[in-house]
Amino acid sequence: MSGLPKRIIKETKNLILDPVPGMKTDIPDEDNLRYLSVEMEGPGNSPYQGGVFNLELYLPEDYPMEPPKIRFLTPVYHPNIDKLGRICLDVLKDHWSPAFQIRTVLLSIQQLLDTPNPDDPLLSDVAELCKSNNAEYCKIAKEWTLKYAVTKKEV
Amino acid sequence: MAIPRSFRLLEELEKGEKGGSQACSYGLSNGDDVSMTNWNGTILGAPNSVHANRIYSVEIICGPKYPDEPPLIKFVSKINLQCVDQKTGDVIVDKFTIMNNWKRSTTIEDCLMELRKEMITPANKTLAQPNEGSIF
Repeated sequence: MSGLPKRIIKETKNLILDPVPGMKTDIPDEDNLRYLSVEMEGPGNSPYQGGVFNLELYLPEDYPMEPPKIRFLTPVYHPNIDKLGRICLDVLKDHWSPAFQIRTVLLSIQQLLDTPNPDDPLLSDVAELCKSNNAEYCKIAKEWTLKYAVTKKEV
Repeated sequence: MAIPRSFRLLEELEKGEKGGSQACSYGLSNGDDVSMTNWNGTILGAPNSVHANRIYSVEIICGPKYPDEPPLIKFVSKINLQCVDQKTGDVIVDKFTIMNNWKRSTTIEDCLMELRKEMITPANKTLAQPNEGSIF
């Protein structure tokens, strides 16, 4: 595919050949090499443990001057992830640097699952619960993980 | 390698949430709809016309092929325009240039703003209008 910057080719190739632990990246549409699908395992010792979360990622025309666009496709109960799967994370916005990579972003998102940031929430009700009754927040997040992110193996 | 449907619609949603244009507004009908298919919009009637100060509600459906194909737009509020089916409120694509000559870069907001312009074209300007507030 002509016209695709070398940096993108290199980054995506690396992601597929040398994946981030607990993540699987794929190019679902050979005609659009700027569009990636990601399967992310929930971090251990978090309410998302055991879940596999699907995300979609798009590298805009101005990448890496502009951050990648990314969202969850699997529903996640989390103060910084809204119902459309949009993610509130500084490196995806004001704190983006062209020195970061897709890999950096994916690790930051996995980290965000592990460490919610209820002081800069996207969903104020979830953030409130996360702060006031963390056990209850963890319980709901776990239920959502089981309901949406765990594929039941065929018996 | 154009922007995929989902991220394009997220961009449009973000612009709409920030207020978009003063003369129209738009957003998801259901904030939980991950497919971002059904939208609601309003168009403020064109000034210096019989439409001035009226607010028209529309429904917008962005199908799976949007933005390669135009959305479906339907007026909920009654309005008499040549490009609007007077029985159903549907915008008739053949009679509405921006949707008939669809470009991938055209947005929901562009469509709503063009509908507003339609209100004051010579062909539409003299049409009698239904009572304000009536619906299809």
